[in-house]
Amino acid sequence: MTRSWGGRAAGLLVACVVLLGVVLLSLLAGNQWFGPHDVYVAAADFTGSDTDRVIRYLRFPRTAAGLLAGAALGLAGAVMQGITRNPLADPGILGVNAGAALAVVAAIGLLGVQSLTGYVWFAMGGALIATVVVYLVGSVGRGGATPVKLALAGAALSALLGSVTSAITLLDLSTLNEFRFWVVGSLTMATGGIVTQALPFIAAGIVLALTLGSSLNQLALGEDLAATLGTRIGLVRVLAALAVMLLAGTATAMAGPIAFVGLAVPHVARALVGADYRWILPWSLVLAPTVLLLADVVGRLVARPDELQVGIITALIGAPLFIALVRRRKLAEL
Amino acid sequence: MKTLAAAVVVLSLLTGCGGVAKAGPSATATTVKNCGIDVTVDGPPQRVFAAYQPAIEMVHALGISDRLVGTAYLDAEVLPQYAAAQQGRKYYKNLPSREELLSQNPDFVLSGFNDVFSSAGSDSSFGSRKSLSDLGVQTWIFSPLCPTADGKGDEAIDPSTVSMNNVYADLRDLGKLFNVSDQAETVIADQQKRIAAVEAKVAGAPKPTVAILRPGLEGGGLTVSGGPDFGTVLIRQAGGVNAFADLTSKRNVKISVEEFIKRDPDYILISGCCDAGLTEAQVQPDVQKILANPAYANLKAVRNKHVVPWLFAHHSAGVRGANSTELIAKLIHPDLVK
Repeated sequence: MTRSWGGRAAGLLVACVVLLGVVLLSLLAGNQWFGPHDVYVAAADFTGSDTDRVIRYLRFPRTAAGLLAGAALGLAGAVMQGITRNPLADPGILGVNAGAALAVVAAIGLLGVQSLTGYVWFAMGGALIATVVVYLVGSVGRGGATPVKLALAGAALSALLGSVTSAITLLDLSTLNEFRFWVVGSLTMATGGIVTQALPFIAAGIVLALTLGSSLNQLALGEDLAATLGTRIGLVRVLAALAVMLLAGTATAMAGPIAFVGLAVPHVARALVGADYRWILPWSLVLAPTVLLLADVVGRLVARPDELQVGIITALIGAPLFIALVRRRKLAEL
Repeated sequence: MKTLAAAVVVLSLLTGCGGVAKAGPSATATTVKNCGIDVTVDGPPQRVFAAYQPAIEMVHALGISDRLVGTAYLDAEVLPQYAAAQQGRKYYKNLPSREELLSQNPDFVLSGFNDVFSSAGSDSSFGSRKSLSDLGVQTWIFSPLCPTADGKGDEAIDPSTVSMNNVYADLRDLGKLFNVSDQAETVIADQQKRIAAVEAKVAGAPKPTVAILRPGLEGGGLTVSGGPDFGTVLIRQAGGVNAFADLTSKRNVKISVEEFIKRDPDYILISGCCDAGLTEAQVQPDVQKILANPAYANLKAVRNKHVVPWLFAHHSAGVRGANSTELIAKLIHPDLVK
């Protein structure tokens, strides 16, 4: 792919068109296939038929949730990879999503918090705490916070937090069964209301993350050089952490912990447009929801009359990529 | 004094001076087959452990409640006629571990669910039936839940065994083992009479489709009773059809919300579960959730307010069969069955 400004912009436009196509596919595909006209009727000329209701109350919110969660996770992953200069950084792998999920389940199950606007704060708090713990644990010992050590610390913490989440959901089967999806992410629990409530948080996170491009580029040169070039490293770190909290926290509050999207997509973006974060970030923003929605469509079709949760599909696609990345020798070279 | 006597007996047996050499089943032994396994007792078992609702209610129905050394895992309140018998029995809210089970020193374990003897079941395992019989503990699985092999569980039910006749066969066999055959025949006659009465009333009537839905299970999808579930039998006896009878991979089948809407069942039973004090009234909030969900608003059952609270306990194979058949018939054929 050409690396000129025009080439990258044109490529991004193509990616946007592909995303639109996938959005349409997500509205049409599933247990029953619908036509574009059905979607139009459900949106503009609602008659209350089963088809209208399935599209309006199941496929619209689910697709919107996929768009938002995908964009959020892709951007969060790109920001995390940039700020930690760690190719294995991903809100799923580094325990951020697991922390958010546990905080949400605790808020719902133990404190009785009901709406997303109520528990999204817990999700962000849980995300932040998990991030700090993983970073502290991963920094112990020789060599500091190497990528693999951070990933291991993240995996260990994710397992720990995930088992606590399971324990809480199992304590009270009758009321908490519906929150089992906090163990593996899914787009099916999102309703129109939840998506609307999540939108402002994710929009704020997207805006914040997109402003970090140049700073991340300078950080990529090394902290000393970045400081010489005038980057306020402390401020950039705080802003990046804030963006990740908003993005990964809200995405998890809406769709549960979905792993690997935030890992894989920035790498694909990097392969397409090079190491410039001013391009990696918007490309991740567009590619990640494309991938997530495709994974969700696959999950709907492969196990009919049941569905596979989207978190299972992303793990199936993402895990081999993760292994390939770990096995690459020059791991620390972001 | 008792201990001393026991010690003497044991010692004499050990030294071979007891005179009663116990090799193989004695003349008084009774053997019946259950799920392909020979169950042999030397006289009626005296220390029974009953796991799950159907097993607990079966013990009470057979009138041998005083032989219970433990009961575990009720899905709902026991039937009113057994409330007094259940009162004060040792009860475990969750299934005890194998060690805890054995510490109660049972000589017979009656289970209303197959996964408990399975190696990879959803419920913590008592161990395979053979491993228990090696310790002198005889076991019983309700025949309508027979797995195809010992150590397997719910995923391996033989659909042909899912019938009320197998509940009767269990009652007869257990009656034989526990030497309460008369009581067993009384229970069978009562069940047969009541079910036949319902079947006579609904004969020839149109058969509405009925879905049994577990609320809120599993990440956004739904769990319904499939073909091998005993609910299929009960709905048929009540003059209806299980809307998901063709899904036969498991008793409890996961499906997508869209599949549920596509099938559009005439009646939806919301199957609440798993607490010793559970009643239908407590399931009402889950009914409201279905009625209030705009995605379901066009379903026949929702429009006609045919979404009703129900209990998981009602559609397990066992002595509730007649009761549950009557309840479903009253619901789906209100003009024929009062």
